[in-house]
Amino acid sequence: MILFVWVVLLFGQEVEKSDTLRLQEIQIEAPVYQEYGRGKKRISWNKEELKNYTNRSIAELLAEKSPVFIRQYGPGMLASSNFRGTSAGHTAIFWNGIPLNSPSLGQSDLSILPMIAVDQVDLSFGSDGALLGNESLSGSIHLSSESLFNQSPTLLFQQEFGSFGQYHVGLKGGYSTEKLGIQTKVYYQNNPNEYNYRDFSEAGSPIKKQDHAAFQQKGFLQDFQWKINSNQQLKASYWWNEAIREIQPVMGSSTHDIQTDESHRFSLQYLQYGRKGIFEVQSGWVKDRQYFNQIKNETSSLFLNTDWTFNQTGNWEIRLGSRGSLISGDLSTYSAQEVRWETYQFINFSGLKNLDFSLNLRQLFYEDQVVPFIPSLGMDWRISNEFSLKTSFGKGFKIPTLNDRYWEPGGNPSLLPEESWQGEMGVLWQKRNFESQLTHYRLKVNNWILWQPEGSIWIPENLRQVRNQGLEWDNKLETKIGKNNLTFNWGYTYTNAVNLPNPEESSSFWNKQLPYTPQHQARGSMTFSRAKFSFQFSSQYVGPRATTLDNSRIMEGYFLAQTHLSVENFNLGPFKTNIQFRIQNLLNKEYQVLYLRPMPGRSYHINLSIQL
Amino acid sequence: MKFNAIQLLMALSLALTLFSCMENDPERPLGEYDTGILIMNEGSFGANDGEVFHLNPSTGMIKTNIFEKANSRPFAGLLEDINYENDNLYLVANTGKIEIVNPGDFTSLGAVTSDLDQPRSLTVNSGKLFISDYGPYDENYGTPNSYIAVVRNTLGGSVTKKIPVSRKPEDLISFGKYILVAGSEEGKVEVIDTEKEEVIKIIEVAGKPAVFYEAAGKIWLYSTGSDEVYFYSFHLDNFTLATTNIFPIPNATGKIAFGNNDIMYLLTSSGWPDYNDGIAQVSVLGPELNPNWYSGSGFYGIGFDTTRGELYVANANGFQGNGTITVLDENGNELQTFESGRGPSGFLMR
Repeated sequence: MILFVWVVLLFGQEVEKSDTLRLQEIQIEAPVYQEYGRGKKRISWNKEELKNYTNRSIAELLAEKSPVFIRQYGPGMLASSNFRGTSAGHTAIFWNGIPLNSPSLGQSDLSILPMIAVDQVDLSFGSDGALLGNESLSGSIHLSSESLFNQSPTLLFQQEFGSFGQYHVGLKGGYSTEKLGIQTKVYYQNNPNEYNYRDFSEAGSPIKKQDHAAFQQKGFLQDFQWKINSNQQLKASYWWNEAIREIQPVMGSSTHDIQTDESHRFSLQYLQYGRKGIFEVQSGWVKDRQYFNQIKNETSSLFLNTDWTFNQTGNWEIRLGSRGSLISGDLSTYSAQEVRWETYQFINFSGLKNLDFSLNLRQLFYEDQVVPFIPSLGMDWRISNEFSLKTSFGKGFKIPTLNDRYWEPGGNPSLLPEESWQGEMGVLWQKRNFESQLTHYRLKVNNWILWQPEGSIWIPENLRQVRNQGLEWDNKLETKIGKNNLTFNWGYTYTNAVNLPNPEESSSFWNKQLPYTPQHQARGSMTFSRAKFSFQFSSQYVGPRATTLDNSRIMEGYFLAQTHLSVENFNLGPFKTNIQFRIQNLLNKEYQVLYLRPMPGRSYHINLSIQL
Repeated sequence: MKFNAIQLLMALSLALTLFSCMENDPERPLGEYDTGILIMNEGSFGANDGEVFHLNPSTGMIKTNIFEKANSRPFAGLLEDINYENDNLYLVANTGKIEIVNPGDFTSLGAVTSDLDQPRSLTVNSGKLFISDYGPYDENYGTPNSYIAVVRNTLGGSVTKKIPVSRKPEDLISFGKYILVAGSEEGKVEVIDTEKEEVIKIIEVAGKPAVFYEAAGKIWLYSTGSDEVYFYSFHLDNFTLATTNIFPIPNATGKIAFGNNDIMYLLTSSGWPDYNDGIAQVSVLGPELNPNWYSGSGFYGIGFDTTRGELYVANANGFQGNGTITVLDENGNELQTFESGRGPSGFLMR
């Protein structure tokens, strides 16, 4: 609150405030997963739709609003996404087009990707190796900054207080002209996570207070966008984030581990618009430093892309490009460096009535290995004004991580890349204010890497073959009753992900649903708004999950609910103010996402945003 | 595996002797789990899903998760050892707790749930629990502060003292008012006076001391080296080495089963790059030596049913789900295979 007063005093002078954007004609280049990802399922949230999640993490957003199952080791603890029944390392994550996954672990922790740092979140489902490259075996997450030109100056201060000692504060400032856009964000979060839980590891299962799950995070983000002239544009972003966490022990353990994750991320994009196409150069640098207790692990990745997009005729759009990556790791048991080269060709064809096609190809070289031919083919068919059909087929791949190949002891340099083949088909029905999308997919993952003990040493091997298939059904209805706006969203996901017979594994593991892969998930929300007031009730159901590959222990499903009450744009003195009251786990459900990892009960949060 | 049939018989004899001296003490009726074989399933790291299964070898019937069924809560730990002492069963979780249960029905009698780091084994002496504990890891994953924790109540409670010992203590054995500690990393056997609660003597040995046992009226220690294994016996009047037997068996893991006619079965694992596991047969008191008695892969635990003359070999199946148990006869012929819990690592023959 002291900070709040300080900011009010410091920025007490009124600046120009307007909610109206002055739109001008600008050239927009869509990301490749939108431009060339025909036939694929996507979900997007823009800045307006994300405003209730500003003080939360990507993990919480996806757990509440997407069909993706989030494996979470506790509130603020390691969280990973499981698209379509695959594992955490099978999701590629990008920030402004730069891959974020750790090259040593092959995944990202979604709990330490705060929503305040991003303006737009997109999910792309399915194998996308041709379009996106490494790690996109079953899906990808795209975080990005919005276009900043021609917006009113803003200075927004946010504070949130919540149960269990939670406190968040953030400051966003932006200034832009027709040619220049600057945005700065600073944030700090502290969550002692002192929630009560039932300790099943002790006689009588007593209620205890969590005493080793504190979470602190701070960061700084700077976006810079410059239209050099009518044909050239430069975008740069820098993001520093540090998270310090007490690692919540599994019930029955008394470990007191501390983990610090620090990341520097930088992206630079140059665009030149020509008469026949667009020339683009993009560079990025990501440095991750992690301390687990006193053990230090450090990785860095440097990327350089060049792309050329041109229209041969009105019906053909072609993009040719290449990427070089320099990956290095300095870990507690090894050091390694690697250069990767990729070339890609994306083709869009729109020459047939109501039919649009994408054909994408990629070739990748790393060390002395070649991943020679990674294709994808997609089609959008507008059957009528109400119905359209999407279908696609493609391959994904994942280069074994640095740990997979070089960890001492156990690293296996002879591992092959994991690969997936996927086909999907979806029908979209849109009628007035209602839309419904039903998607069916079939996915097969080969060479799935698994760490197994050999004697006292754990080593990774290309051991497993997995077949996934499922249904995803998403619906949205918007209606208006007088001055009242009502929006309903609901969806259901069925995931059947089984381990195929494999002579290297016990037959009791064959044809069983993969661990921590719920077959059934459902979600729904209702939003009511009138003038400055809005109320939202949302809920999710996560079905039973097995804890092991033989499905010998099944954790029961759980149902969660949340509610938000918001009042927006009311005047507090000279300031426009938003206030939100939120209740998480409304029904105070006692639940675990992962076995013996307790999650918090009901919590209350109040959020204040002041437009200075 | 830190228990064996001989230890068990000794403990039972001691318990019977003690109870026979007590008048008016009602005899405990034989419980469901007082006979048969208890299968120790260690569980998987990070999941704390260790559990105990019970096998009736006569009928082949297996009862799963018997701790959870008896107590309506999961064991919630990595099960490192089971000790039958003082007419109680002590379940040692290396994740930091001891659960004490009624051996007949597995209902909880008590616990030690705080002030432990990585407990490995336990013995009861002078009405106290002595728990070997690696202690906390340092920044290099070393354990320079290993100890024997003392709990002055055989049904658990709080740790009252930590007796510093050499790094990574494993098995413990009681003799009179003394206990012997197998100091696995520094090749030491420490003798603790349980009344004074302090180390009174240290005996240097070769290899990594793993398991104590009793045979021919002596206390023995099984210790493993990279190319050979060692069996030591001790003078118990002055705690000095009495005999040393060395066998040329490489890659022994420290897991051992005690068969009939003084024959012992040792688990071996070749490690990188072949990862071939095996079972060697040795005898200190007899002529047996067969370094390649049985071979396979994925062996994680071993036990011997002396009544039936059957060897139980556990396979953890990579900890991806439940393990499997293979039963062999004394000639190494497979008799049956069945599923156990996650990470089966040892057996207690009741």
